[in-house]
Amino acid sequence: MNLMRGSQDDQLDAFFRAYREACATPEPSVHFMPQLWRRIESRQSFTFSFRRMANALVTAAVAATVCLGVYTTIRRSDAAFYSQSYVEALAEASTIDTDLVAPARLEINQAPLE
Amino acid sequence: MRVDFELIKRAQAGDNAAFNEIVLAYRKRILGTIMRVIARPEDVEDVAQEVFLRLYFSLDQLRTAEVFEPWLYRLTVNAAYDYLRKQRRRPEYRMSDLSEQQVLMADATAGGKVEHDDQYQKKIRESVDALLGAVSEADRILLMLKEVEGLSLKELEKIYQVNENALKVRLFRARQRVLKAFGASTKGKEPAQAG
Repeated sequence: MNLMRGSQDDQLDAFFRAYREACATPEPSVHFMPQLWRRIESRQSFTFSFRRMANALVTAAVAATVCLGVYTTIRRSDAAFYSQSYVEALAEASTIDTDLVAPARLEINQAPLE
Repeated sequence: MRVDFELIKRAQAGDNAAFNEIVLAYRKRILGTIMRVIARPEDVEDVAQEVFLRLYFSLDQLRTAEVFEPWLYRLTVNAAYDYLRKQRRRPEYRMSDLSEQQVLMADATAGGKVEHDDQYQKKIRESVDALLGAVSEADRILLMLKEVEGLSLKELEKIYQVNENALKVRLFRARQRVLKAFGASTKGKEPAQAG
């Protein structure tokens, strides 16, 4: 057994040579190019729809940002709301409470009872 | 180079006819390389199409036309690697099948009765495939490119973009692992054949 008698390195090299001969280059089939172009087109259409979806999402995000920005600006421009101090705002908010706890008044200039 | 730089530049600019010419110029070579790396004739075209598909969508990333061939080889290596990784999840051959097939191949080679029928070639492919199960997919491809494809270390250096010494170390280790598997499978058979 020649192959078995040589060093293992030689045996392995012979094995690889036999493998190379066993793996002849295959002839491309007639469907090779049409299939390749079909795959390219299908990937292109996928990429195109993905890109379109991504663009739509970006547009929606930009629109939402603009809307939020406008809304925030309008609220900030409400000067009366923001010109009050905290104490003033509290006082204004608690006017009803002060009415309720106001001291009772005695009317002394009423006409005497007969 | 099988194509001129002008053709590559035209393909980069989006000329589909130029790309078609590039595929026609390289497809047989790529098919041969993939065949030797993956050893599955039924899947060779599919992997080769994947290579050219990746080439089509990444051609604009190629800076200089001079590095086109190593770059195409790198795409081939990557596609083969992805295929082999998927295949490893559903292995078809077991290491226990190896020794019988090896001995069959050794008998045929040593006795000078080199059969070239499909069955014999299939068995050799299966044997090497099983033997290369001893190394990782990446090392398997590297070994195939060096030992079977016959690429030089310089060419491999361009494809893998690592220095020659690192490649030598990796190749040596991969070969040692394969040799170990090879030795283990033949050891059990030798006494029986001698006796």
